[in-house]
Amino acid sequence: MASLAIDARGLSKAFGERPAVEGLSFQVQEGEVFGLLGPNGAGKTTTVRMLTGLLQPSSGDATVLGLDVRTGAERLRRAVGLLTEQPGLYDRLTAEENLRYFIKLNELDEPAAWARARRYLERFGLGGREREPAGSYSKGMRQKLAIVRAIVHEPKVIFLDEPTSGLDPEAARTVRDAVAELASEGRTIILCSHNLPEVERLCARVGVVKGKLLAVSTVRALRRQGAAVAVRVEGEAARFAEAVKALPFAPGALADGEVLTVSLERDQDMPEVIAALVRAGARVYSAVPAERPLEEVYLDLVKGGDA
Amino acid sequence: MGGFHVSRVRAVLWKELLDLRKNRGLLLSLLVLPAMLVVVPIGTVFAYASNPDDPNLRTMALFYDPNLPLQASAAGFLIEKILVDWFGMFLVMPIFVPILISSQAVAGEKERRTIEPLLASPITAVELVAGKSLASLVPAVAISWLAFAAFCAGVDAVSWHFLKVVVMPTPMWLFGVGVIAPLFAFFGNGIAVVISARVAEARLAQQIAGVCVLPVVGLVALQIAGVLRAGAQFYALQGAVVLVLDVLLLVAAVRLFDRERLISRWM
Repeated sequence: MASLAIDARGLSKAFGERPAVEGLSFQVQEGEVFGLLGPNGAGKTTTVRMLTGLLQPSSGDATVLGLDVRTGAERLRRAVGLLTEQPGLYDRLTAEENLRYFIKLNELDEPAAWARARRYLERFGLGGREREPAGSYSKGMRQKLAIVRAIVHEPKVIFLDEPTSGLDPEAARTVRDAVAELASEGRTIILCSHNLPEVERLCARVGVVKGKLLAVSTVRALRRQGAAVAVRVEGEAARFAEAVKALPFAPGALADGEVLTVSLERDQDMPEVIAALVRAGARVYSAVPAERPLEEVYLDLVKGGDA
Repeated sequence: MGGFHVSRVRAVLWKELLDLRKNRGLLLSLLVLPAMLVVVPIGTVFAYASNPDDPNLRTMALFYDPNLPLQASAAGFLIEKILVDWFGMFLVMPIFVPILISSQAVAGEKERRTIEPLLASPITAVELVAGKSLASLVPAVAISWLAFAAFCAGVDAVSWHFLKVVVMPTPMWLFGVGVIAPLFAFFGNGIAVVISARVAEARLAQQIAGVCVLPVVGLVALQIAGVLRAGAQFYALQGAVVLVLDVLLLVAAVRLFDRERLISRWM
């Protein structure tokens, strides 16, 4: 059985009088890819900074790989890898020099660590470009170089803060593939993002944060929260979405081709939905229970978190 | 695991010197001040030595010393005076060079958002301050010493045909450049590190640090204006005061390099 990589108990952080996160409790198993979801300013980065020994919690406790984030910060920083939201590369230095700097800071055996770094560079498509200044790299290349820097000391736990933020779709895809590769090596990965398809693709479990932890669950279980029905109609389902949303109990409706996925709070409302669709002129072929889109579950949770 | 790791200090020093070597703009600005501080006095000594009988020299000499004996050489007096006074001006160099380097090295990390990955590494605040400080002190002292060597050679070359003696280096200059200049470099670095830890931009840090060291420049101006008579004792006292300030600045710099403070305030 896998042991715990992260164990957070009532973790809180306030900057002066302003609370950033309050009472976060969650656990992450070794080898798990865990998503930390939340809107901008929800406290994801603050949480990561506490778990990587950069910030001291105001209250609560946490251990990462058994190391206390309060008392074992230096050992913790040796044991984990962090990809910050901004790649934070030294533009005048080459990719090799950027990596060698962190190899030296981590006091690694330099030839062995550099050989490892070169393997990662090759794997992430940066092979042969290590002598070029980091400032000449594209955004995607910079992000991949920053990932190599974050893992050059072979950390067992890797924190990735918005790894595809600001990247074009192609670059985002290559970074996602890189993350998937790291996950396949059995590393524990904490992925902070508000890119839901990315989280859905990469993470087995997620925690939704907005100042406090709103939910911790598997993606599947989250999507099963509340009732949902997938209604197949003739033609473009998007034409009927407004008719459904106008119902008094205001269900969520998301169209995808011929299928309209309707989120309901109660199963009993389903006949009303079908009737509304028929009234709007839809020819209904089928209506089957469905998982709610993660986006909708997330938005519901975040909206609820405002209350 | 804990404690002070020299290897991590070396790593910071390695990276900073590498970065400095590649920063042509900064290198150029680092060379301008030393060049001026070497060329200007050599030119002045050359002017005195090449035309020692110019009556204007006596007028100038009498301004500084109304009791200058009639048989004394005004040019010789003025050469001696500028070599004493210029020492104070020369000390501006080891102060300003570290300000230029440290502001880039510390506030520049915040400006370019490289500080968070750096703080996420195992390096401690003391090691970081030590590495960054060495990276500005080593070039500052090296530039000062090289400039001093060029200054001595230049002054002796242009004054030889008139004085027929080697006037530089004097014991005061040797002591000053060997001992006081590194202390001043430490002072400039300390000011720059402390200010850089509190502001977001390297240029702003340079400007504020520049203003903070203005009193030292003011002392030099008073010497040149003849208001202040500076000699070896004055400089020794100045060095002692700066040494105390260096220690205080070092303590402040380490405190300001607290991860929590840097991250919560700037990131």
